[in-house]
Amino acid sequence: MSPTISCDSVYKIFGANANKLLADSNGSVDAKQFQEAGCIVGVNNASFDVEKGEMLVVMGLSGSGKSTLLRCISRLTDATAGKILVDGEDICLMNNKQLVELRREKMGMVFQNFALLPHKTVIENIAFPLQVKGVSTENSMYKALEMVELVGLKGRENYFPRELSGGQQQRVGIARSLAVEPDIWFLDEPFSALDPLIRKEMQDEFLRLQGVLNKTIMFVTHDFDEALRLADRIAIMKDGIIEQLDTPGNIVLNPATDYVKKFTEDVPREKVLKIESIMDPKDTNASDNLKVSKDDIIESVAEKILNSKEIIKVIDPKDSSEVGSINPSKVIKVLFGG
Amino acid sequence: MKKFISLFYALVLFAGFTTVAKAADPIRIPVLNWSSQIVMANVMAQAFEELGYDVELVPAESATRYEAVRVGELHVAHETWQSTMAKPFYEAMDKGGLIDAGSHLAPTLEDMGVPQWVIDENLCPGLPNWEALKSPECQANFATPDSEGKGRWLEGPYEWHTDVMPNRLKGLGLDDQWMVKFAGSADALWAELAAAKKEGRGTVIFNWTPNFTDAEGFVFIEFPPFYQGCRIEDGGSVETTGCGSPIGWLKKAAHIKFPITHTSAYKFYTKMEFTSGNIGEMANYVDNGGMTHAEAATAYIANNRDQIDLFMK
Amino acid sequence: MDKNYLETIRNSKPAQFGILIFIFLILYFLIPQSENNYLWRLPSVLKGIPLAINNVIFNALYEWFPLKVWDPVFEMYEEKAAFREFTKAVSQGLLFLITVVRELLLGGDKIIDVFVSDSWLKENDWLSWPALPWTATTVGAFLLGYQLNGIRLGLLGGIGALYISVFGNYVPSIQTLSFVLITTPICFVLGLSFGIWGYLDKKVETALQPVLNVMQTMPQFAYLVPIIALFGLGDHAGSIATIIIATPPMIRNTILGLKRISPEVVEAGLMSGCTKPQLLFKVLIPAARRDILNGVNTVIMQCLAMVVIASFVGAKGLGLNLKIALNSLKIGKAAEAGLCIVIIAVILDRFTKAWADKQKDYFENLTFFQRYKLLIIFAISVVIFSIIAFISGGYFDKINYLYVIPIEKGLTIAHYIDGAVDWVWETFFYSLNSFNKFLLTQVLGPMKHAYLGMPVIATFTLAMGAAYIVGNARTALIVGGMLLFIALSEYWDRALITMYMGSFAVIMASLNGIILGSIFGRTERGGRILLSFCDFFETFPSFVYLIPVIFLFNITDTSVLIAAIVYATVPATRYTVWGLKSVPLSLHEAGTMSGVSAFQRWTNIEIPIAFPTVMLGVNQTVVFSLQMVILGALIGTEDLGQIIFGALSRTKDGAGVALTLGIFVSLIAICVDVIVRNWAEERKKALGLA
Ligand SMILES: Nc1ncnc2c1ncn2[C@@H]1O[C@H](COP(=O)(O)OP(=O)(O)OP(=O)(O)O)[C@@H](O)[C@H]1O
Ligand SMILES: [Mg+2]
Repeated sequence: MSPTISCDSVYKIFGANANKLLADSNGSVDAKQFQEAGCIVGVNNASFDVEKGEMLVVMGLSGSGKSTLLRCISRLTDATAGKILVDGEDICLMNNKQLVELRREKMGMVFQNFALLPHKTVIENIAFPLQVKGVSTENSMYKALEMVELVGLKGRENYFPRELSGGQQQRVGIARSLAVEPDIWFLDEPFSALDPLIRKEMQDEFLRLQGVLNKTIMFVTHDFDEALRLADRIAIMKDGIIEQLDTPGNIVLNPATDYVKKFTEDVPREKVLKIESIMDPKDTNASDNLKVSKDDIIESVAEKILNSKEIIKVIDPKDSSEVGSINPSKVIKVLFGG
Repeated sequence: MKKFISLFYALVLFAGFTTVAKAADPIRIPVLNWSSQIVMANVMAQAFEELGYDVELVPAESATRYEAVRVGELHVAHETWQSTMAKPFYEAMDKGGLIDAGSHLAPTLEDMGVPQWVIDENLCPGLPNWEALKSPECQANFATPDSEGKGRWLEGPYEWHTDVMPNRLKGLGLDDQWMVKFAGSADALWAELAAAKKEGRGTVIFNWTPNFTDAEGFVFIEFPPFYQGCRIEDGGSVETTGCGSPIGWLKKAAHIKFPITHTSAYKFYTKMEFTSGNIGEMANYVDNGGMTHAEAATAYIANNRDQIDLFMK
Repeated sequence: MDKNYLETIRNSKPAQFGILIFIFLILYFLIPQSENNYLWRLPSVLKGIPLAINNVIFNALYEWFPLKVWDPVFEMYEEKAAFREFTKAVSQGLLFLITVVRELLLGGDKIIDVFVSDSWLKENDWLSWPALPWTATTVGAFLLGYQLNGIRLGLLGGIGALYISVFGNYVPSIQTLSFVLITTPICFVLGLSFGIWGYLDKKVETALQPVLNVMQTMPQFAYLVPIIALFGLGDHAGSIATIIIATPPMIRNTILGLKRISPEVVEAGLMSGCTKPQLLFKVLIPAARRDILNGVNTVIMQCLAMVVIASFVGAKGLGLNLKIALNSLKIGKAAEAGLCIVIIAVILDRFTKAWADKQKDYFENLTFFQRYKLLIIFAISVVIFSIIAFISGGYFDKINYLYVIPIEKGLTIAHYIDGAVDWVWETFFYSLNSFNKFLLTQVLGPMKHAYLGMPVIATFTLAMGAAYIVGNARTALIVGGMLLFIALSEYWDRALITMYMGSFAVIMASLNGIILGSIFGRTERGGRILLSFCDFFETFPSFVYLIPVIFLFNITDTSVLIAAIVYATVPATRYTVWGLKSVPLSLHEAGTMSGVSAFQRWTNIEIPIAFPTVMLGVNQTVVFSLQMVILGALIGTEDLGQIIFGALSRTKDGAGVALTLGIFVSLIAICVDVIVRNWAEERKKALGLA
């Protein structure tokens, strides 16, 4: 099966003579040079796939091109060059009608700055994508009401965006993007405006939803903790270039560049790594007294493992089958370095 | 919204088609802003309706209506005063589209004059003879703050007679004692009359008769008599241009197609010749009788049935 | 040392202005007054322009692209210009729409006439759409207001309609209303469409700007003759004249509003799967709502402000009645008609605002009767009142008072208004008269002479210099070019008089407006009341108070200027109030915490922050002042306006003269606008607001 999203050498250059400059550069784009020529590089030669049901988290400093990448894939902006396939279809070749269809049926997006329609109430904002699709007012309103409850805004259906706090607005944005039940979900820093408590709650809710809905997700965040909690894979961007795209464990353990290393340096590994990332293959000597799940975060089970002082079985929580083993010494290495 | 717009276009198109298809045009009569004119318009309207025509009374402006008659937007212009409207009337006729449908019987006089109280209070001894204007005492009574010490003549809007009054002052040798100020509209003239009366001050002002001001009393200044060619624009010289105004006509104008499109109405219109008394009566119903213009017209017709019947024959 | 000095001048605008004025004065006193001196007056080389314009118009009207049209009267083919045939068709459509609304309310058989043959209609003269009794209309106005925003708005509508009916102005008011009800949506749709177009296409926006400027600043009387020639006489012609002046603010507001929408909101719409039209109608336009509504407000106010002028080209209703009343100096009666215009304006404005603000309740569970309760009540009341009116018809002296109260039988407060005018006259005339003498001889007279004594080179130096200081070389060239056009015509002296009256009115009106706005605009309530006054003076026809002003100040420049100042104070006040409202609360709090006095707050916080908005108001004040100064020709002036009015009756070249001079007035307004706008931009940047 082909990947849900597939990017091949995608470039996005802002500026008047972007096309010409890009053609002259033979594919090797230097941000500095381009800047001198009056162009800004948004995305530089991005190639990657996102599989169905996968969650790809995109990280990077401010201005590194994360939002731009998302915009290219949703074709809110036209990529300057490259090929973007969504479910095997080249979206760059789609006409307006097909695009509308694609967005109505398949895509949802949560915007960095909320982007709520100022003239519509909470419930109208959430029902909006349904209404443009032609769902009857009654049905769309009931669906929207469900969403309002889901994001915990019940009682505020008839507020206008200007009457909501930043976090509340962001939740409206999330509810709106979910209303049409998209297969592909773009989230641009969706939780950044939320307070830590709600954020944690929303993350949990998000994971639960993802467990049930199994959407293909691209998720932008600045918060590494968040990335590690959620991501199947993480892409780290710098000046439009994807520096590394890998599993959280690999990113932390084997940073490809100094930039990525810097990015992950301060991250306490035990907090982010799952047992899976440090487990060994199945070991017949493993003790039967204790089992840990491969998805457990190291920190949460470290004490148990260290106390047992034995090699411990690692199982897949889904079917409780044994998938590997873990040696306490590995945990010590993660916790105390060396 | 979309529905609304398409409905709008549909209506416009529909209206365009249907109205074009209708051949029988209502007779369009202008309604201006003074009583006698409006009542006369209503008299005509009621008479035309009796003759079986549809009539429409159209609000219009005295200055622009000759152009409107010329292009066929109006069928008639039934009160055309010589002194104030002859110019646009003849210009429109020259350009084509407007014809002269004869005059009313009423003679008109349009000239400078003073309200009755100026005479009563002897603000300018010797009036109405123009020579009285020569005395400095008289002139001082008619000075205003912006007249630089001279006496002021308040003339109607400039385009009515352009330089006739300034020239007349020159011709009479009064131009270093008197100056001409142009009012902007007839309304302004009447406002000045009322203001002067309130203050009890004198004013020399342009006016005409028959007019509603006749009731309060108005005295025209007696200038040297008018004769053909006395004015500068008619070939006169500075010496002769001091002449007064002629006794003028009150004409009726019509659109060039009116005789053909509404034949019997046009016949009525050419025969329709009102006297000063008639016109005064029309205005009186409204100004003093408290009737609406339409009621006044009905009353006039009832009162002068013979005359109207005569026009209809 | 020297360099330092230059540096100071380069950085200090006041210093630059000082130098400019110095040069100006030198030129002013050095250039001798002589006909042959081109530094004093330029030669009138553009004398031919009015006639040329005139010929172009008449070519377009009567000759360009002739069509053969069958003339049933003369039974032959006549050559008619395509353009005029087109405008005629537009006129027919407009007139039809107005007639539909009018007959729906006032009854008649013109609409039925469209569907059946003339002769059949004549035979069946019972066939006529019945008029709505005023009682039903009043109930309808109340219910509509109630439905839109509760009892208060209901009372506004109901009492307004009641006043209009009982005072006998029902028929003319409905005539005016039907005119406005068609014209406003047309302005709205046109303004919105062009606004959207301008928003989508930068080139269009750039091209629109000067056109809009001219449309808005051109005196209406300048294009009345071409309108009559093109569209004829009637309500439709009035409608066209109104559309010309009322559409530009709608376009401007639409562009402004659309531009203010954040791009993410547009993207959100796209991601919701909007098609292009959906994006336009469901996202862009509603999101720009606030500004678009401001535009609608302006459109409504302008439409009603134009009612009297529309009656010059054939619009029926209050405007005509007002004109007739004024001609026989019935000020009270004219004021009553004027009041009806204001009432209609206020009701329409408040109703549209409430309608736009109305929220929908999606979860109310209503039965058919609950949902259409008010409509049903209205229908029932129409039936009941019609029956009552029918039965009581002829009961009192043959007039059916429950159907419509004719004007001469209605209540009236005209006596009191006339009495009030008399009282004002008796109380104030003598003191005002000496004030007037002083003003005319000590201020206005010298000012006028000063303007007329200005050598043309000095005028150009001053205008272009100011433009250069606040803007750049380009600004200076634009201003210079526009003035040159006037200076090369034979009307420069008249233009100077217009400028003298205009500048006096602008200065006084701006001062008034800023002071009034600052005093009353600081409280919510005061601001609201003040804005209501603005609505009143914008729509109350100035023609009405021109007459009492003449009583008090005679036919002098003072009268013209007072009317201009009263009218032009409106925008200055309005924008000051809006500007003060826009001062963020946090700044007020910061001010309070720093312990500022009320005056310091005004000078140091409010005025600087509100400045750009206030300047927009000043810009509108220029437009309003000039419009009124031109209208002052009705009192008696010697400026451009006098010629424009005079041209109305000049069949030969009147259209060309009026248009040319109208453009001159526009150019003056645009010059001021360019300078003021640049200055405001610069101040905005200095304040970090841009
Ligand atoms: N419409 C645009 N025109 C020109 N340059 C743009 C445009 N949009 C983005 N850019 C530039 O592209 C680069 C990437 O922007 P982008 O918004 O994708 O950053 P980001 O990674 O999302 O940053 P943040 O974390 O702050 O949201 C930035 O340098 C930005 O200035
Ligand atoms: Mg971003």
